[in-house]
Amino acid sequence: MLTTVFSKTLLDRWRGMAITVVALASLLLFAMAVYRDIDLSLYTDLPEGFQSLIGIPPDADVAGLAYNAIYNSYGALALGGIAIAMGSAFIAGEERKGTIGMLLGNPVSRSAVLVGKTAAMVLLVTLGGLFLWGSGVLAPQILDVSVEGMHIGAFTLHVAVSALFYGFLALAIGSWTGRTGPAAGVSAGVMVVSFLAVGLLPLVEGWEDLAKAFPWYYLSGSDPLMNGVGWGHIAVLVGLTAGLFVVALVGVNKRDLRSRSVGVSLLDRLRANPATAKVGGWLAGSARVSSIWVKTASEHQGLLFVVSMLMFWFMGVMIGPMYSALDQDLITLGESLPDSMLALFGGGDLSTPEGFYQLESFGMVAPIAIMVVTITMGAKGLSGEEDNRTMGLLLANPVSRSRVVGQKVVAMVLYGLVVGFATFAGVAVGSWLGSLGMAVGNIAAASVLLTLIGLLFGGLALLLSAATGQTRLAIFIPVGAALVFHVINAMAELGDAGWGQLSPFHYYLGSDPLNNGMAWGDAAVLAVLSLTVIALAVPAFQRRDLRQ
Amino acid sequence: MTESSAIQAKGLTKHYGNLEALVDLDLDVSSGEVFGFLGPNGAGKTTAIRTLMDEIRPTAGSASILGLDCHKESVEIRRHLGYLPSDLALYPNLTGKDTLTYFANLRGGVEWSYVEELSERLGADLTKKVGDLSSGNRQKVGLIQAFMNRPQVLIMDEPSNGLDPLVQREFQAMMRESVAQGAAVFLSSHTLSEVQRVADRVGIIRKGHLIAVETVSSLRSKAMRRVELELGSAADATVLESVPGVRDVSVDDRRATLSYDGKMAVLLRTVAEQYDVVDIATQEADLEEIFLTYYRSKEGSG
Repeated sequence: MLTTVFSKTLLDRWRGMAITVVALASLLLFAMAVYRDIDLSLYTDLPEGFQSLIGIPPDADVAGLAYNAIYNSYGALALGGIAIAMGSAFIAGEERKGTIGMLLGNPVSRSAVLVGKTAAMVLLVTLGGLFLWGSGVLAPQILDVSVEGMHIGAFTLHVAVSALFYGFLALAIGSWTGRTGPAAGVSAGVMVVSFLAVGLLPLVEGWEDLAKAFPWYYLSGSDPLMNGVGWGHIAVLVGLTAGLFVVALVGVNKRDLRSRSVGVSLLDRLRANPATAKVGGWLAGSARVSSIWVKTASEHQGLLFVVSMLMFWFMGVMIGPMYSALDQDLITLGESLPDSMLALFGGGDLSTPEGFYQLESFGMVAPIAIMVVTITMGAKGLSGEEDNRTMGLLLANPVSRSRVVGQKVVAMVLYGLVVGFATFAGVAVGSWLGSLGMAVGNIAAASVLLTLIGLLFGGLALLLSAATGQTRLAIFIPVGAALVFHVINAMAELGDAGWGQLSPFHYYLGSDPLNNGMAWGDAAVLAVLSLTVIALAVPAFQRRDLRQ
Repeated sequence: MTESSAIQAKGLTKHYGNLEALVDLDLDVSSGEVFGFLGPNGAGKTTAIRTLMDEIRPTAGSASILGLDCHKESVEIRRHLGYLPSDLALYPNLTGKDTLTYFANLRGGVEWSYVEELSERLGADLTKKVGDLSSGNRQKVGLIQAFMNRPQVLIMDEPSNGLDPLVQREFQAMMRESVAQGAAVFLSSHTLSEVQRVADRVGIIRKGHLIAVETVSSLRSKAMRRVELELGSAADATVLESVPGVRDVSVDDRRATLSYDGKMAVLLRTVAEQYDVVDIATQEADLEEIFLTYYRSKEGSG
């Protein structure tokens, strides 16, 4: 039985891992090829503080830059994300689907199920790490790039062990709560916050050691690429991971399993209390079922809340005062930087608050944040109802398929606007708090462009969802496309190549809207592309047989 | 369309690759009747219903409901239609009341007092979240949803799933009342007894082909039954086999079992002439036997 739980989990999960590591390996090759052909002195002449900010080790060369750019940020986050998806689904996911009862109806203990599933996760992450190692060794040989003195194996070991930590964190939370939402959400939150903290804290004088409190520190803190395996740091991660596994084992054995059931939300509690029943009932019930778009919006309100708050507080309000607190010497040095240098991380001239906001907020985190919302809503809008087998019933009402698509679009656009506005408001407040004097109109322009790029990839997800009815496809393809386009744009800017215009990201920050204000032409390109993919979704959905 | 035609299908065909899920289906269901659509699992019942509902598009043929084309005018059709899909799924986070409010809103409103009346008749709990309901109680929400707009056509796919016998009876009464008011009911099922209780006519489908359309009374007269006889003396298979409609006789001393397709009076008369009948037990033949009967008769005539 143990082997069947193990092998079933492997079969269910290997594709996501395979696609991810192949994509990462391709990106590594691509990045290395670009770095090989440009003058690297602009990196290597940087002061140490800058290098740590953008995550590159001292005396980095072509290979070192590529490994850090691709594996240390994208790679570690992607592998961690996959591990979190697995960890949160293992126990809590089976409870949500209502299959845990049947699984445990077989003569197999709860511990054995947990061990079988966990072993599959460990194996998959290990294989993913090995693949990254192999492609990390192969890429420089193909491109004839020197990797002398670099410990690629040690580096990928750190990446894989770190990913497992987040996977086990999700597993432990899921095992104790039986809920996938908190398990995935909290773990992803811990991962992202510690990723940011380890990048930012060392920049503030006197706060350097605080970074050690965050698990990301044990991935990159010992610089395993240059120094080999940091066994002390690995031991910390393995120890924490083992501890989390014990916590998960205790939790899953101790707890009453949940039958297939739905959670109790704050609104439900309001509804249950006679004093607040009326308001609660309106909010939870009659208001949210008044139309298709309102209901769709209400299904994603938790996600919207988390993402908007992240953008408002962490990526907006807090960055302003933090910039003011930064070492001024560090900032003045930035004046000598070439514009293209930081392109991979979203670009931006660090000697100005605009550049700092662009690097920390608009460059990478903001597009990821808004796309989490728009791609989720686009992908789940149509095929999600088919997955849940409610589409047939919905369409038994006198509403046309095009109207259903339209209403799903309304919800997605509205939420995209909310995230865009939260970003705008956060940055505007942050700029005011830090007395940075950024132009409010320019912040608005960047936020509008952000909303548009979010809607473009959300629209692509909607189109795929409409055309295929496959939610996974509708999520993976836009995410993959966004990643590839982002890297293409960044690399093109590094090399000053014209083909960056092929990437939608060129029309997002290519005009430097935080400094130059609205680029109406770029906005129009993004708007037309978004409208096109969204408009195509209507005939795609009308033409298709619904899944059963 | 004729005044009374509610559902019509002409040569309706659906292929999935090489699989012929539905082949050349002709149907004509009138207003004011319950039409039972009978077939084993995987026979093509749900494919036919999903095609009528415009969820999937036919490979060939066409269908209309209330004279409106099932594809081109499907939105207009759905104003006058109630639908209960097979294996009903609802939004688990909504209560029964929220669910019904949602669908009512999509219809531009329904008479809420009627919803409450239906809910009371079926004993539905509309305050709980649908995800926390048992499948039978969830099915009640689905039934209310199908009936609440007083539809002219009701299409229901295996509607009795999970309902206890008392609720089934209430549901059947609701169907009869709708029909009495001129509605047409199209209901699929894999149990003969259910269809016989409520339907006026029955279409029998197997492997995508509509084998026969019969009134329930003629189906009943034809229906194959398994008969077990206990006789006063040792039974003789040849005597029993001489009765027209008797098949598959097996004899064990004074016990005989046989399949019979005909009027019970004829069999009893013949047996009673020869034997002292001590006990008799009959049971409904299962669907497969009925299909075989129809196949035999088809082959015989064709």
